[in-house]
Amino acid sequence: MFKFFRRQGGHPDTPLGTCRLFAGLSDRDMQIVLGFLHFRTYQAGEVIFDEGEDGQALYILVSGQVNINRQGREDALLARLEPGAFFGEMALLDDAPRAAQARAVSPVEVAVLFRGDFLNLMDDHARIASRISLQLARQLGDRLRRMIAAAGERT
Amino acid sequence: MSCAGSPGPRPANLVSLGAFVLLVAGVALAFPWLATHAVGWQESAERYLQGGLFFVAQVLYQLEGRFEMLADAHVSTEFVRHVAELIDGFATRYLGPLAIGIAAWTPLLLLAPFIAYFMLRDGATFRHFLIRAVPNAFFERTLYLFDQVDRTARLYFQGLLALTLLDALCLAAGLWWLGVSGPLLLGIVTAVLAWIPYVGSVLGCLLVVLVAATDFPDAPQVAYGAIVLFIVVRLLDDFLFMPMTVGRSLKLHPLLTVVMIFVGGAVAGIPGLMLVLPVLGVAMVLGQTIGQVVNDPRLMARHLHARRLRKAAVSRDLY
Repeated sequence: MFKFFRRQGGHPDTPLGTCRLFAGLSDRDMQIVLGFLHFRTYQAGEVIFDEGEDGQALYILVSGQVNINRQGREDALLARLEPGAFFGEMALLDDAPRAAQARAVSPVEVAVLFRGDFLNLMDDHARIASRISLQLARQLGDRLRRMIAAAGERT
Repeated sequence: MSCAGSPGPRPANLVSLGAFVLLVAGVALAFPWLATHAVGWQESAERYLQGGLFFVAQVLYQLEGRFEMLADAHVSTEFVRHVAELIDGFATRYLGPLAIGIAAWTPLLLLAPFIAYFMLRDGATFRHFLIRAVPNAFFERTLYLFDQVDRTARLYFQGLLALTLLDALCLAAGLWWLGVSGPLLLGIVTAVLAWIPYVGSVLGCLLVVLVAATDFPDAPQVAYGAIVLFIVVRLLDDFLFMPMTVGRSLKLHPLLTVVMIFVGGAVAGIPGLMLVLPVLGVAMVLGQTIGQVVNDPRLMARHLHARRLRKAAVSRDLY
């Protein structure tokens, strides 16, 4: 496991290294962050989380593809995510239920940052947590701008 | 229980080394002082013991003067005789079992720093290994469970420290008002002794009464005041402070907290009294979360679906 962590840690050419969430973190910072992450694998077609369930964690796509869609409506595709993308980030901020379903399109590996661990990261490594929080805020800002632009186009 | 992202080898080594160096330095510095004052301590202990015994004998004489039944039973004479027997046979009767008890517990106590060191160093790794065994469908709920158990244990010990502080301050303030010497030290020692339910409280009360009776041999009302103060603080502790601190940290109802303390004592004696609240808190979190997971048909369906997908994936080229 440690070998795996070392292999992944901070390499700019790996999905975790290219993930926007960790932009600006040094190799040393990445080693610390990796200690807080859980790695999971999912089969093609497996549900990662359901719409409406209590979100507890943020997911970072390490390999494979993930569809974000409305629950029970796989045709209503909201986004198809590629390695390096992250999803479920609202779970780090509050107890609100998941806004959509995430389902693996192909065999998938994800790194998971649990909310409790993120709070521990804030307590123990405030500088790293603040950088991650900044990237989260930027992602949410981008999404808000896109939604406003889409609403403007519809009207 | 350790949390994820725990310090890792280097900080854990540094913390452990620092604690060890502090301990050794503390013992080395304190040893000469301890050696020179040990004789004085023995004298003080004997003086306080004699003061306490004199106080009890005095109280019994007074009671005999008021109650004929006690006088007929020669309560004070019997008490003095029993104490004399106890002191005479103390070494032969109690020192042996005490030494055996210490010898039996010492290896466990010596293991404690090693366990603490490895939990500090590898706690996060253990947690990761445990979590890896959980199926995907239950993963987030299990992480939440671990977090809640971790939080519950932490809050319990924080509550216990708050309780000790409240007890120590109340006792110190009361003893200072009564004029007993060393009120703050007595308050702290007594509050720490209260970690051992019942037995600790009795020892604490005895300590306070011994000091009060020896400091004021001609004014037994000070010792009575100390006993009243101790009973008041105990009642406050059991019915107000404990539900407010430890009980609240575990999100237990104050009535349930009090009832469970009695149940724990009845079932498992002193260890039961000490462990009933943290065990109850953890059991409640476990029961609640496992109940949610097992009774959630969607999670079970997702788990079965994932198993079918995995089976299909690994057996694709077999047929």
